[in-house]
Amino acid sequence: MANRIQINKEFIDIMPQDYLDLVDSGTFENPNRGWKDFGTATELIAEHSLCAGCPESIAFRHIMASIPNPEDTVMVGSTGCTSLVFPMIAVHNIHSLFGNQNAIATGLKRALAVRFPDRVKDVIVLAGDGATVDIGLDMTLQSWFRKERFTTICFDNELYANTGGQESGLMQKGFLAKMAPVGKRFEKVRLPEIARESGCDYVAIMTASKPSLVEKVIKQAVLIAREIGPTYVQIYTPCILEIGKQSMEGLQEMRTSEAPGERFKFREFISPEAQSFLDGLAEKKKAEKIAATT
Amino acid sequence: MYNVAEVNAEACVAQKGCRLCIMYCPEANCIQLDSQNMKAIIVESRCKGCELCVVVCDAAKHNAITMVAR
Ligand SMILES: Cc1ncc(C[n+]2csc(CCOP(=O)(O)OP(=O)(O)O)c2C)c(N)n1
Ligand code: SF4
Ligand code: SF4
Ligand code: SF4
Ligand SMILES: [Mg+2]
Repeated sequence: MANRIQINKEFIDIMPQDYLDLVDSGTFENPNRGWKDFGTATELIAEHSLCAGCPESIAFRHIMASIPNPEDTVMVGSTGCTSLVFPMIAVHNIHSLFGNQNAIATGLKRALAVRFPDRVKDVIVLAGDGATVDIGLDMTLQSWFRKERFTTICFDNELYANTGGQESGLMQKGFLAKMAPVGKRFEKVRLPEIARESGCDYVAIMTASKPSLVEKVIKQAVLIAREIGPTYVQIYTPCILEIGKQSMEGLQEMRTSEAPGERFKFREFISPEAQSFLDGLAEKKKAEKIAATT
Repeated sequence: MYNVAEVNAEACVAQKGCRLCIMYCPEANCIQLDSQNMKAIIVESRCKGCELCVVVCDAAKHNAITMVAR
């Protein structure tokens, strides 16, 4: 399907079937890619070791199906449960030292612009709440203050999952965790609001309960980061293990937490510049549709 | 012993456009659409047995997926 994604003929007989499937039906170089490819195309993510039913896995699948330009995207990960998935994705990625992800992404984005001046190169950070809001907060905020043009995605499971359930800045007030037995004494950090005030042109807070919404948000976030300025997406990916849910209960937990008045009710902030950019895109799409039907 | 999901092709309504289990299975490339018969099929080696597919299929009253021991 893709021109740039090809396999050297000498390797065909020794490469694993999963790899051949990716070359054959991976959705590279397809501007219309999205969650609708599930079930028929090869996803850009392979078997990993997250817990059975983990909502981080669901969100990861939806995101990998949605990024607009996977063949020219570099993702930056950090330590945490997400780092168990990064070795299994079919997109270039860098594992940063815990907390450094937005600093690494800054250098990477600038270097890519120098190295490939004629090519669109997207950079996407994907890290847990501990990495984004606690240990990496300095780097997160500084990159927004400097208006660095990349997307920051935070998998917010409201605690440190990978190390057994410690308190994080995004944990809810009063919450008890295995390694935070007296309950959190402070409010959940309002990072979406902080992101808006710190220079992000697009901010969304949501759960991973609707693939179509994840697709829309991720596409907007990446395109706005490419053309306008920094973007931030915070997705509730509950750690079912640490909050005591069964493997099949993650979806319901996300749905409950996004009800009206709940902390993950879908909210979006779009700067005026980003809005006029999105309006321009919508008009272009409309014109293309009309041209196609006449 | 290990539990994996199994689709009852007669009950599956993928031919009418249902993709619920395919959308929500946490594992990538795990539930595929058999495009010849238009039914969902499970790639057992990738199934972690979480039962989320059963939950979404049952909630839509299709009841087409059961867990089986392997
Ligand atoms: C510099 C550094 N400090 C601490 C750790 C230990 N550590 C590993 S994972 C983790 C917590 C990750 O939490 P979060 O970012 O919320 O990701 P989650 O596992 O919850 O998805 C910590 C503290 C580390 N690996 N490196
Ligand atoms: S520990 Fe929690 S966040 Fe990590 S893989 Fe398991 S369920 Fe997911
Ligand atoms: S959710 Fe049930 S009916 Fe729908 S495609 Fe899956 S198995 Fe078939
Ligand atoms: S049991 Fe879980 S992993 Fe297995 S097919 Fe169903 S949703 Fe996917
Ligand atoms: Mg976390």
